[in-house]
Amino acid sequence: MTKLKIPLILLVILTATTSCVSNQPKHSASKHDAYISAAVNKSYVIGSRIVTVGGLHQRGDDGKWQHFGINDHSIFAMSFDPRDHNIIYTAALNGALRTLDGGKSWRIMTSWDITEPKDICVDPNAPDTVYLGHPGGIAVSPDQGFTWLRKEKGLPDRGKYTQTIEVDRTQAGRVLAGCETGIYLTENGAESWRRVLPTEETVNDIQQSPHDPNVWLTVTQSAGAWISRDRGLTWKNLPEVPSASALYNIAFDATNPQRLAIGSYTYGVLTSEDGGDTWADRNDDLPDPHQVWRVGIDPDTGRLYASVYQVALFASDDFGQTWQEAGLEESAVHSFVFLPKNQK
Amino acid sequence: MKSQLFLILSLATLIAISARAQPSYEGPHPELTVVEDAAQRRAEYLQRVNEVITWRAGLIDRDPDPTKKLDIATISAKLVLKQDIDQCSERVIELMKEPGTGPFWMFPTVGVAFIGRDLLSPEAQASIREAWRTAFQLRGDTENHFAMYYTALYLMSELYPNEPGNSWYTGKSSEENLAESREYLIDWMDLMTTVGQGEFNPTHYIGEYAVPMIFLTSWAKDPEMRLRGKMALDWIFAGLAANTINGVLRGPNARVGDNSVVERWNCLASVFSWLNFGNCPPQKGYSFGNYYALAASNYELPEVIYRIATDRKDSFVQRDLKRSRHRWRYSDVGKAPIYKTTYMAKDYAVGSYQGGMADPIQTHVWDVTWAVPDPRGIHPTMFSVHPYSASKGMQMYFNVRPDTMVKAVAAEGKPSYDEPDKLVGCSPYEQVFQDLDTIVALYDIPQGVRFPQINGFFSKDLVNLTEDESGWIFAQGGETYLAYYPLADYEWIPHLGYRNLPRNGGPYRFERYDTGSKVLTSPHLKNGTIVQAAAASEFKSFSEFQAAIRALPLEFTLDPTPTVTMRTLRGKNIVCTYGEAPIVDGEPLDYTKWKLFEGPYLNAEKGSRKLTITHGRLKRILDFNTLTVSDTVMAE
Repeated sequence: MTKLKIPLILLVILTATTSCVSNQPKHSASKHDAYISAAVNKSYVIGSRIVTVGGLHQRGDDGKWQHFGINDHSIFAMSFDPRDHNIIYTAALNGALRTLDGGKSWRIMTSWDITEPKDICVDPNAPDTVYLGHPGGIAVSPDQGFTWLRKEKGLPDRGKYTQTIEVDRTQAGRVLAGCETGIYLTENGAESWRRVLPTEETVNDIQQSPHDPNVWLTVTQSAGAWISRDRGLTWKNLPEVPSASALYNIAFDATNPQRLAIGSYTYGVLTSEDGGDTWADRNDDLPDPHQVWRVGIDPDTGRLYASVYQVALFASDDFGQTWQEAGLEESAVHSFVFLPKNQK
Repeated sequence: MKSQLFLILSLATLIAISARAQPSYEGPHPELTVVEDAAQRRAEYLQRVNEVITWRAGLIDRDPDPTKKLDIATISAKLVLKQDIDQCSERVIELMKEPGTGPFWMFPTVGVAFIGRDLLSPEAQASIREAWRTAFQLRGDTENHFAMYYTALYLMSELYPNEPGNSWYTGKSSEENLAESREYLIDWMDLMTTVGQGEFNPTHYIGEYAVPMIFLTSWAKDPEMRLRGKMALDWIFAGLAANTINGVLRGPNARVGDNSVVERWNCLASVFSWLNFGNCPPQKGYSFGNYYALAASNYELPEVIYRIATDRKDSFVQRDLKRSRHRWRYSDVGKAPIYKTTYMAKDYAVGSYQGGMADPIQTHVWDVTWAVPDPRGIHPTMFSVHPYSASKGMQMYFNVRPDTMVKAVAAEGKPSYDEPDKLVGCSPYEQVFQDLDTIVALYDIPQGVRFPQINGFFSKDLVNLTEDESGWIFAQGGETYLAYYPLADYEWIPHLGYRNLPRNGGPYRFERYDTGSKVLTSPHLKNGTIVQAAAASEFKSFSEFQAAIRALPLEFTLDPTPTVTMRTLRGKNIVCTYGEAPIVDGEPLDYTKWKLFEGPYLNAEKGSRKLTITHGRLKRILDFNTLTVSDTVMAE
């Protein structure tokens, strides 16, 4: 047993060491806490023994990513209670989970009938209410996750697979959901939904601009990228963005309203520095193939992150022109969250 | 003197057999006699169960590598035999320091927890309990994962009642875990008994259901759940009995492997046939049979099911309703109906479902299989497939992004998924019709689809393979005559099987090898296969069979839509047009009338939750509405 344990401990130490980079800027002066959920599970299949540590990570003051909470590579998304950042909700393989103590203890809040939710979002203006996008549709909890109601009036019986869900920060109960058949909007806390953008295939991400809450962006599996300037009511295609293959997510740069980034397994990192009119391929310095799982932008520094699928996390301080490895070897980052430190 | 010598030789043989790793796997094929005496049947069943347990208990002790340590299955087997209890306790404590993640760790751990509850040291039992607090368990994403996960969670929550949420990885109390698990298991049984089994007729995944159900019926405190487990086992094994000839599974499968689709015996289903019916050899290593055997003495196979498997004289047709894996997106239905037909004769079987997607990865849609004296190493089957491989197909059933799943599936132990010569898998562009022992499979593959070809499997064990000028390909497999008509040009390629290589803790590894069988590959988008089977005993000679087939009226067109008009060997006039209901003797086939089970042995109405199992004078009714099992011996 001892013989087995020593290599395992070494592996864990090695993994922890190699997943932290020396190239990181100091973050003690940051106005935001940075979190990611990452799968560090290359070669894992259900039934295998997990020998890596994945799930939620928080960026420390030294810039290193520290794992916390459950070792669960399947955490697709997370959302924090704005009143208390120790209250965290996750959307994971087993359902929606919640911690009340910053990740020390967890409870699976959903039952057997909701599985593999893809996104979860606390309403910042009604933070007891939590929205959950899952393969069977949309569920809403009015009581911090204790009970879940399927609220799908207006969604099609078939075609409500939900990949992404985003609450409008300006109005309680106003939510946009990215589904298999398009974007659906509710303005009454999911009592009813209506489609505001039809698509043939899944909508993969929806984001609200940190600069102008009227502006929203979305990326899709096969319909490219779209922008809305009227709170998601109408959408205009961004013709310069390729659409033949899936776009996974889109990010605003909170430091510069003209800067946007898209992550794509096929196209890698695409960036725009003119609000989405033109786009540049920013993959020259990334490993080949540059299969990007997700991008994120630090709201304090404008640092661009790109998770290259099962290779590592990469970071760029010149918006994609050059990249440095930023730890988390063999990972795929499912989500980035940056929280104002003064909020909690 | 002679009798003494015989006795010595017999004893020597017995000792040699018992010293072998797996007597039944390595020994001669079992006698195909029906055991009439119930006590003898039971004794032989328990003997087979004991063979597995004994083999497993000694597995590590026999291993020449002295560094090998006891694993959970071996510990469990030793505990059943009450061997090396202290060593087992120590090893359990060691193993629980590094618990696994997910249903495949959970159910073996439940096994050792229950078998060891009066045997393991308190420290060892506490280590198991602690692992269920600290190690987060992934629920998985398939029906079999859920069956294992919730049965395991149910039993552990019953074993440790009245404990708070912080003592379980779920964060929920024992009672909350129990209620959730119970609700899922009942919902799953409801689905199975109303609209059909999901992972139906599985070659391997039968274990993923049978093991949880034997655990449930053995160890649940709640008598209702114990009974449900037993009834579910009856349901599963009744299906196995009706779909086997001499223990070997026939017909379509929701899930099958690259090897078991051709060497039909070589799968876990054969372990269950061997255990229950005693009519075929078990698979090497017994696979999940190791876990089943731990509690197998708690189940007694009903005689009526035993006789369906072992005591059949007449050919029969069985029609069953099954269902696809749940479709999350890109489909008008969540659970698509699967209309399964099996024609079982003495020497061969023909089985199919209507085509289309049942499961995105490992489905087997149709085949003709024949009986052989000993199935080990034999490829007793003939079929064709469109080797469909598509991300969109994956996304329908899996909640994944489009770009990685195809490669991931191949890496997860299903190596053929994205290979053009694959023989496993269903296609949205295949439509199959079966009438008795005739199959018409039509393909209409759109331009641009990956792998635009049809693969037909031709066994190394066929004899008299003849490519006839008429367009028919004739062959004989066992005592079965076969005629295969490809509707488009083709060429032959060798059949390359998959051989597992040591993983050494890493990803799955395989090498390909020439099995001696071959594949008819036809690179045409509009395509089709007709197969007609018959017993050799029906004809004076192979030539007479060929003449009879050549004489059958047959017309077909491929453009614009594949259509076959023919008369079968059994005299039925059929018209099959891709995309339309097949027409038999002028009547379109109406699938809406399909029952849950319909045949001489198994009968159930759709939605009924009630299965009637009959054989001769014996009848058993499994009624999940009232949770009752009633047995009747009918008057002659």
